[in-house]
Amino acid sequence: MLAVVLAHFVAAMMAPALVRLLGRRAFLALALVPLVTTVWAFSLYGDVRDGGTVTTVVRWVPGLDLELAFAVGTLQWVMLLIVAGIGVLVMSYCAWYFKDGDKGLVIFTTSFTAFVGAMLGLVMSDDLLVLFVFWELTTIFSFLLIGFEPTKRASRLAAMEALIVTTLGGLVMFVGMLLLGQEAGTHRISEILADPPSGTPVTIAILLMLVGALSKSAIFPFHFWLPGAMAAPTPVSAYLHAASMVKAGIYLVALLAPAFATVPGWHLSLLTLGTVTMLLAGWRALRQIDIKLLLAYGTVSQLGFLTVIFAIGSQTAALAGLAVLLGHALFKATLFLVVGIVDKQTGTRDLHELSGVGRAMPAVAAAAVLAGFSMAGIPPLLGFVGKETVFSGLIELAHGETAGVPGWAGWLVVAGLVAGSALTVGYTTRFLWGAFASKPGVPATKVKPLNPAFAVSPIVLAALSLGLGFAGAALTTAFSPYADTLVAGEHEEYLALWHGFGLPLLFSVVAVVGGLALFWVREPLCRFQKRTALSVNAEGVYRFLMRGVDRMAVEVTGTFQRGSVAAYLAIILGVVLLLPGYAVVRGLLGDETRINVIAYDRLAQPVIGAVIVVAALSTVRSRRRMRAVILAGVTGYGCALLFLVHGAPDIALTQVLVETVSLVVFVLVLRRLPEHFTNRPLSRQRFWRMGLAALFAVAVAGFLLTTGSAREAEPISATFPEASKEFAYGNNIVNTTLVDMRAWDTMGEIAVLVAAATGVASLIFLDTRMSGIRRVYDIPYPEGVEKQPTQPGRRVWLPGPRTMSPDRRSIIFEVVTRLIFHVILVFAIYLLIAGHNEPGGGFAAGMVTGLALMVRYLAGGRYELDEAAPIDAGILIGTGLFIAAASGLGPMIFGGTVLQSYDTYLQIPLLGEIHLVSSVFFDIGVYLVVVGLILDLLRTFGSRLDRQIVRAEKKADGSPDDATTEQAVV
Amino acid sequence: MNDEFTGPAIEWARLWPLFAVFGTALVGVAVEAFAPRSARCLIQSSVAGVGLAVALVGTVLVALELPERAGGAARGDVTAGGAVVVDGPTVFLWGLLVVVTVGGLLLFAERRVDAGLPVFAGQASLPPGSTAGPGGPGEPSYEDWEHTEVYPLLVFALGGMMLFCASGDLLTMFVALEILSLPLYLLCGLARRRRLLSQEAAMKYFLLGAFSSGFFVYGMALVYGYAGTLNLAGVAVAVRAGGGQEVLLLVGAAMVMVALLFKVGAVPFHSWTPDVYQGAPTAVTAYMAAATKIAAFGAILRFLYVGLGDARWDWAPLLWVVAILTMLGGVVLAVGQTEIKRLLAYSSIAHTGFLLTGVLGLQASGDLAEGQISSLQAVLFYLATYGVATVGIFAVTTLVRDPGGEAGSVARWTGLGRTSPLVAGAFAVFLLSLAGIPLTAGFVGKWSVFASAAGAGAWPVVAVAITSSIIAVYFYVRHIVTMFFADPPEDAPVVVVPSPLTSVTIAVALIVTVALGVVPGPLLDLAGHAGQFVR
Repeated sequence: MLAVVLAHFVAAMMAPALVRLLGRRAFLALALVPLVTTVWAFSLYGDVRDGGTVTTVVRWVPGLDLELAFAVGTLQWVMLLIVAGIGVLVMSYCAWYFKDGDKGLVIFTTSFTAFVGAMLGLVMSDDLLVLFVFWELTTIFSFLLIGFEPTKRASRLAAMEALIVTTLGGLVMFVGMLLLGQEAGTHRISEILADPPSGTPVTIAILLMLVGALSKSAIFPFHFWLPGAMAAPTPVSAYLHAASMVKAGIYLVALLAPAFATVPGWHLSLLTLGTVTMLLAGWRALRQIDIKLLLAYGTVSQLGFLTVIFAIGSQTAALAGLAVLLGHALFKATLFLVVGIVDKQTGTRDLHELSGVGRAMPAVAAAAVLAGFSMAGIPPLLGFVGKETVFSGLIELAHGETAGVPGWAGWLVVAGLVAGSALTVGYTTRFLWGAFASKPGVPATKVKPLNPAFAVSPIVLAALSLGLGFAGAALTTAFSPYADTLVAGEHEEYLALWHGFGLPLLFSVVAVVGGLALFWVREPLCRFQKRTALSVNAEGVYRFLMRGVDRMAVEVTGTFQRGSVAAYLAIILGVVLLLPGYAVVRGLLGDETRINVIAYDRLAQPVIGAVIVVAALSTVRSRRRMRAVILAGVTGYGCALLFLVHGAPDIALTQVLVETVSLVVFVLVLRRLPEHFTNRPLSRQRFWRMGLAALFAVAVAGFLLTTGSAREAEPISATFPEASKEFAYGNNIVNTTLVDMRAWDTMGEIAVLVAAATGVASLIFLDTRMSGIRRVYDIPYPEGVEKQPTQPGRRVWLPGPRTMSPDRRSIIFEVVTRLIFHVILVFAIYLLIAGHNEPGGGFAAGMVTGLALMVRYLAGGRYELDEAAPIDAGILIGTGLFIAAASGLGPMIFGGTVLQSYDTYLQIPLLGEIHLVSSVFFDIGVYLVVVGLILDLLRTFGSRLDRQIVRAEKKADGSPDDATTEQAVV
Repeated sequence: MNDEFTGPAIEWARLWPLFAVFGTALVGVAVEAFAPRSARCLIQSSVAGVGLAVALVGTVLVALELPERAGGAARGDVTAGGAVVVDGPTVFLWGLLVVVTVGGLLLFAERRVDAGLPVFAGQASLPPGSTAGPGGPGEPSYEDWEHTEVYPLLVFALGGMMLFCASGDLLTMFVALEILSLPLYLLCGLARRRRLLSQEAAMKYFLLGAFSSGFFVYGMALVYGYAGTLNLAGVAVAVRAGGGQEVLLLVGAAMVMVALLFKVGAVPFHSWTPDVYQGAPTAVTAYMAAATKIAAFGAILRFLYVGLGDARWDWAPLLWVVAILTMLGGVVLAVGQTEIKRLLAYSSIAHTGFLLTGVLGLQASGDLAEGQISSLQAVLFYLATYGVATVGIFAVTTLVRDPGGEAGSVARWTGLGRTSPLVAGAFAVFLLSLAGIPLTAGFVGKWSVFASAAGAGAWPVVAVAITSSIIAVYFYVRHIVTMFFADPPEDAPVVVVPSPLTSVTIAVALIVTVALGVVPGPLLDLAGHAGQFVR
């Protein structure tokens, strides 16, 4: 059976080639596939006649327990015949309906053939999931078919609407299927039906599946998509919207009825909605002017009818249901095909314009009349046979034979369906009259000559409607295996033209008479309908919902996705506050004894803390950038003081140095930024953010308290003093940690420093930082300035400042700089050497050297910096990194391990004995890297920005941007 | 402290693909330093290509040799002193990552779509609009330059990702997280077109990513405080033993999860996703969207399953909430999008939610019904389907171009199905797969994660997942409709014919997407064969 489905898909793939080769005749070639299927389906009759089932199982995804299981019983067999048989006829009809070179013919043939395959797969599936797959496939192909004329907006909208409604329904159904499969422990339909589970989850599952069925079969409140889908070409309407796809929902109801008709809510929902649909759509059909739309509403009405029949779940109803199912497929396909012919030959579908068409195309008209009679339930057609049995089934229902449905409700359904049948007769008459009758006062419509082959399919279908009307006995035999799976009524029912006088016949008569009466008053009725039409309808609600979804999405996006990093971060912080923050609060509250806080050791600590807090608060409140930076610096210095008070001079020293350097760098950068922070965010938001920040700070403090007091094990640092002496030969634990115990970390950190320095430099210099160094003597004297030769007695304090404009110079600063620069450098070297035992170390020394350079720069401008350090920062950094690495690898030469330390005592005259540890070389590397980094920062944020500022000023003055003009200030 | 320090044994036989990748990246750095500029692009892409090929072969070879553990329930070894775990899931993810990276590499090397120019900016630090060359005006312009560093960066990112999902302890995981993140931050800022957007994206990604990394470290420290070890297996032992300071574990695990969920873009840590996906060069977006998610989910699975498997009932409820928020957030926000890449970004958020749904399917192996899919298997398979479709769909978006770059607006794609049915068709297939329509890979993926979550009793999450899928279908299909059933605009964007690099990527992704939809069995079995995590 998988082969049947696959054959269609393969044929679909070949369709484009066939169309190119044969044009529209490709339909005939493609129709062979469903034709073979039909023949094959007939051959199965022997197997299913006695209630047998033909099954095929192909394991698809064993891991997921997905199998391609197919089974054909009586119900499936009937559907198979309808789908394949009518498929053949509609496809051959298409060969004349379309013209060669019609736009989209390729897509159409492909989708149509594939649709047939999917539909066959749907009815044969014996696995819920496979069923779902094919279910969605039919949706997709139908979408392609409905949107056949994509340029029409209406066509596009209709396709979309049909797709969304049926897909949504399908997915709801999928949930139901999953639930049902879970409860039953298998997804195999035949197994579920044989041993149906029960319970509330099953009820929910079945009701969810019914949502899918109702949406697919266009039952109220999902009915609106079907008339909209009439934008599709007529063969599509005839096949999808009459014979096959919309029957999928009915099929599902019929499939589930034997096992689940007793589920609470089944009868209530299906009988009510089915009846409402039949009445509502029948009523609507009566006022349609487009004969295709009229049929569409008629189809919706009939689908409601079918739903009610199969929902009853009795033997009689099942028998009747199959007959009506078959009958409906035959007559509705005929009528749609006829509409297609009328439309093609006359160019209109307006029943007020059509006149005398019946006389011009008698054979077509005859087919239509036969089909119409079958629809209206006039003997001796199949429709009548079915309807008679339906009424018998309804009477059983009204007699209360169906569990769960009280008699009065049964009578209500009977009344509804009889009224619905009357409406059916009414709109059938209207259709036949509208399409074919000669109307007084309307000129006869021009009808193009008809190719007889075009009319073959509707005529064959109409003939089947007639012929099967007499085959009641054979149909009873064929259908009874399915009916036997259901609850038997009080008397055995059978399909026949004549059941004798009784209520069913009376109902038929009432319906026909009522229907004719409705037709009689058609014009006043139309006016009445127009007046009473409700302003709210299902389609409107659907559109409203869709707009609502769109709208909501936009609103939500606007609220949460503003593109502001601050807002994003606020969300993340909020969550962190909420979850871990909550956990901490709970932990703290749960066990107060664990938190052991010593308020302070010395009075200085709270005082410094208070200063830090005040500074931090003022930082946030500050509107000037400079003030904020300085205040932030105060918090840093405060921390340094705290370290000092705690007895860690080394860390305090480092902190102070880092703080100073960063303060200067900040100031340098701030020259290029506006004085004030922006006015955004507005103050309200700022307070909100301050609140969040404060809360977050409290939470972090909570984390710290918790973790700080959670220590159970001995800290690893307890062994550091000993290790520091023993392995690293030093007294300064901080330094020995850096250069020996955790030297690998330091190695990594200086590598990061190098990367950071390079990154900063590349942002400002764009390509290379090599170009910038210019000594003062490189600068040519500008014309008009007399060169004053330097000689003993005519020395300057600093060479650079003369390149600056006089108003920027400070002679005192220059003198002081000249005096202290070398002192600072000596101090730095002291720190470097002494760092192993005393406060200091390579990092601190580098920082100090950097500060010295910074002073030179501040005193004398960018040329002074180049005078002070006429070396490329990159070389310093690279050398530093190399020395550090080499000193790390060095011990390996002597058989040691990487970064191992050795020590030696040197006697140096004047200085005395020096305790030299090999790790000092590592420290020198660190030193050079740090100096290089600061030099880099100064060159980029200092010198380079100076030049940019000068250039910007020049540009503002209107003088040409030329390198030579720079020298004017010399 | 006084014990002699012994270095961990490195099991080269298991780890060499990882080393191959890092080695390739380092070679790339050297090439950058020494090769002449004109030859770099070719050399770099070849080096990366060879490296990836070696890594792929290596992954397969390693996978074939994994020893069985725990009676066949798991395969693999704990290596490098517990830092790296090479087990079934690891090699599966490695393979997947390398394959996705190959796709990324091909897209990186593409230069035909933008009139012979590479997809990356000539110079990262270049302000928007400036084209002047290194020596100022009159020099050869930066237009002709190329950042060939992108290739080593790509390979570094891959190395980080491979390490990330193989981490046996939190410290390795953090290092890997940084190795994979930093190159991505950089790559995001390198778009040739729409520089400002790109730079902004990189900035945002970096800032927020740095924050989340900070949370990771903080959380890691707290977990250490609880368990006394960073090793995931050790954490598991501590959790099982119970006692101790529960608060530390809760806070620590929550913070680590914040970082991991940030990486996968789960609500409420998703905000960066659309901005970054939109701003980054599309080739990078394609790579990042697929690969980061794969790697980060590998890490999430390992952290939750191995480290916190016994605390399942503590984290599951929270993850329920996150999964639900993520799915709903992703699809609801996607509905209103008018930018293709933003739309896909939100859809990727929704997919994160679906994946989290799969993560929730964790059950003890004894509780697993006969033939039922394990959550690990489901998530691994989903990652494969998602990764392939994502690379493919972003690759397609590079082809539709306006004069100023890619035609990003959904409206510009109107009627594309009629002018370029092939491109639009491929796009449609990927969309359908992302939507989870049957016969595409996405369906089987979704099915498997839903089934596994449902099996573990997470019904409410599955219900929300299906609801989200329904909403998702709406916007995916709406896009297909406008492509196929509307008239193209007057000044329709140009659909460029790409070089084989991009076409092959798209074609392979397309074939895999369809093939996995029709015959998912082999890959599912492979994911199942991977077994459980080795502790």
